[in-house]
Amino acid sequence: MAAKILVVDDEVIVIKSAERVLRSEGYDVEGVLSGREAMLKLEQNNYDLVLTDLKMPEVDGITLIRWLRNVKPSIGIVIITGYPSQETIKEALELGIIDYVPKPFTPAVLSDVTKRALEWGKGEAEAEKPKEEFPPAMLSELDRVVKEHKDKPGSLIPVLQRAQEIVGYLPPFIQKRIGRGLNISPAEVHSVVSFYSFFTMKPRGDHNIRVCLGTACYVKGIEGVLDKIKGSLKINIGDTTENKKFSLEGVRCLGACGLAPVMVVDQDTYGAMTPKKALEVIGRYDSSFVGAAAKEEAEETTE
Amino acid sequence: MEKVRTNLMLCAGTGCVASGTAKVKDALQKELEKRGLEKEIKIVLTGCNGYCAEGPVMAVYPDEIFYQKLTVEDVPMLVEEHFLKGRPYQKLMFKEPEKKTAIPMMKEIPFFKHQVLRVLRNKGLIDPEKIEEYISRDGYQAAAKALLQMTQEDIIKVIKDSGIRGRGGAGFPTGLKWEFASKVKSDVKFMLCNGDEGDPGAFMDRSVMEADPHSVIEGMIIGARAIGAHHGYIYVRAEYPLAVKRLQMAIDKAVESGLLGKNILDSGFDFELQIYQGAGAFVCGEETALMRSIEGKRGMPRPRPPFPAQKGLWDKPSVLNNVETLAQIAPIILNGPEWYRSLGTEKSTGTKVFALTGAVNNVGLVEVPMGIPLRTIIYDIGGGIRKGRKFKAVQLGGPSGGCIPEHLLNTPVTYEDIVATGAIVGSGGMVVMDDNTCMVGTAKFFLEFTTDESCGKCPPCRVGTKILLDMLTDITEGRGKEGDIETLEDLGRDIIATSLCGLGQTAPNPILTTIKYFRDEFESHIKHKWCKAGVCRELTTFLIDEKLCKGCGACLRACPSKAISGEKKMPHKIIQDLCVHCRTCYDACKFKSIKILPAKFQGDPAELEAVSGKSKREAE
Repeated sequence: MAAKILVVDDEVIVIKSAERVLRSEGYDVEGVLSGREAMLKLEQNNYDLVLTDLKMPEVDGITLIRWLRNVKPSIGIVIITGYPSQETIKEALELGIIDYVPKPFTPAVLSDVTKRALEWGKGEAEAEKPKEEFPPAMLSELDRVVKEHKDKPGSLIPVLQRAQEIVGYLPPFIQKRIGRGLNISPAEVHSVVSFYSFFTMKPRGDHNIRVCLGTACYVKGIEGVLDKIKGSLKINIGDTTENKKFSLEGVRCLGACGLAPVMVVDQDTYGAMTPKKALEVIGRYDSSFVGAAAKEEAEETTE
Repeated sequence: MEKVRTNLMLCAGTGCVASGTAKVKDALQKELEKRGLEKEIKIVLTGCNGYCAEGPVMAVYPDEIFYQKLTVEDVPMLVEEHFLKGRPYQKLMFKEPEKKTAIPMMKEIPFFKHQVLRVLRNKGLIDPEKIEEYISRDGYQAAAKALLQMTQEDIIKVIKDSGIRGRGGAGFPTGLKWEFASKVKSDVKFMLCNGDEGDPGAFMDRSVMEADPHSVIEGMIIGARAIGAHHGYIYVRAEYPLAVKRLQMAIDKAVESGLLGKNILDSGFDFELQIYQGAGAFVCGEETALMRSIEGKRGMPRPRPPFPAQKGLWDKPSVLNNVETLAQIAPIILNGPEWYRSLGTEKSTGTKVFALTGAVNNVGLVEVPMGIPLRTIIYDIGGGIRKGRKFKAVQLGGPSGGCIPEHLLNTPVTYEDIVATGAIVGSGGMVVMDDNTCMVGTAKFFLEFTTDESCGKCPPCRVGTKILLDMLTDITEGRGKEGDIETLEDLGRDIIATSLCGLGQTAPNPILTTIKYFRDEFESHIKHKWCKAGVCRELTTFLIDEKLCKGCGACLRACPSKAISGEKKMPHKIIQDLCVHCRTCYDACKFKSIKILPAKFQGDPAELEAVSGKSKREAE
């Protein structure tokens, strides 16, 4: 069966040319002129892939992608954009897009990206596929960063930092790719990744909880807080929960000693923590967690 | 332009932001607009004010009224009372702990009263994201003076005469460092700033970078000119995203204004500056390791000589200064060495910023003249020990420092006097501990840190710290044996003597000082299997003294493992099989009826007197 593709762009010319190119490849293509129409279509029909512009009046591309990830997370998304700024690409990557087509595009680029994206989507569906595969958009962004730093001395650490931002972690595959790009041996790349505590080779959960293990926090009882978090999430420092919601990290002083004991979730700092307050904070990031914690508490009391 | 009648300096340091600055700002803005005051009253977001524990804090200028613990709910009343009716709002003012009288003026509050601000001269007074505000407070005048009116030798002489010493920890004279580097001939040199504030319990550098980034940049321009460097890096911890953001903004603004880059102020002097983000390794605070890290390698130290002044970053002459040191350079150039020497002692001149934290009432950043006694900092500025508990020790200098006991609290804070106690001034972390703290546990805490952060290059540090940690773990878990204390001391001294860099050379300090001043605690852990603070779980038994128990039920409700039983108004009992030794009941009891006894203590609570009496004698 031919793959079903929805093209969303406020310029008619883009839709027309996309339809022409992709139909000639045998795909089943539909086009709409706004984010709102796209939502209606997506609610009624099933698609394998959505190609969408980012800059559109009213409902823009990012809003559409966000909505789609919530409503039908299994549909693959590729963005078409004339403005591939680092910020929007980063945001889109975080939302889980597969790739992007820069405007203006040639027919060959469009059909290439589409083909790859559909294959990638299939791979996602089959769980037994090796995990170390990354969306093409991610890799091309990574390659761009590597290229930007290529001939600058001492650029390995900044590149690794950016790579971790883009990919989320630094598995061997990514390390090798960076090494090749910067002309540094994989062993050297690995030696740096393994030395600094900022770098991780394990994927992190949706939310990263960092608990401060500094002196002020120690004196004010961070250990009790940490034990409670470990117990409730059932993970140790350095691990990620089974449902991939939370990762737990211990850090050497966050420099917010005035608020001790301190923990940071993603980018937000929380001070004067107690075991109970810590669980409340975590609950704000995942409503199902509160339920689980409350249930546990109830079980404890009945025992 | 509208005339601004009042400025509200709202703290937007990391501490206050975590306590809710953003929400308070929105509420204030809305309320001011509602009352039609938004044109005459301006809200300014400043860097860290220093009084982090009471955040979000705000100072009102020109009245100099200080408000703390602001909440969104209080905002309407505050605006109505103070800004509409002109009556400062008492509810949000600082109150004296005992008398409960409100102190409206910022400079009258004890926490601020004893401080002298040089490094933190702009804290809470400027918006760190605006270069104009820094310039309006004499910013970049010193750089202009250094570039246009002074020779390299002039600058170095002023800095040498001021007596300023590196504020990062070791206290090496800054002027000498610059002189060495300036005398080395090389086409390329580097001026570096160490913002890799790794000591747990220290956050003064973070605060300076966030609250006054231009002061660091100006210091670097002057330093670069003195040594003849045209390239510079600021190495910042990756854990400090706000500092990175503000510094980057400041650098961009300085470049735009012609204060960085080519031909600065038409002086013909070029200086390019960039930020380098660290990646989380404590050892990178060591200068040779930091330079390795900028080169993109593992941040491991190397033996000196050659010193970085000869061969540093990429084997070129380099100077590395700490953030706090650099932030003081501009006023020294402007006001002269005599001004700088007017505070402090002969050998430790000027002021030092400390991060006062732990079990004190007033937690935050404090800047004081060198040479004032520790007691003044802890009791007058810090307001004494929290919840009326007893002072036990103050930890200075982080994992490289040591614990100072009560009888040495009159020690003046100078590099020499603090070293004489066995601790170090270090970067300025000052963590106060009360009698609920176990000193053996504290020593173990620091060793866990250094063992983990040891880079692994030299065996004395890599293996030695691990052995020390294992021994301390044994002691805190009841496996300590006779002779352990002596072994700890011997091994500690060997590690100090044989390690390659500052990390290993100072790692045993926390153990050596705790043994020196709290030997009886080590002994009671080893001989009596008794952690008197009730921290080491394996070394305690909790019992209720029935004579003192009022049967109020506080402990019973607090106990997480339901190990306490008893009728109301009747003496309670701890069921030992269920007790997890968490000390919750001890903290909950208002009548001091819960006693901490040695591990596996069996007996009648009636024997309590005898036991505690006997051990007390032994300890003495």
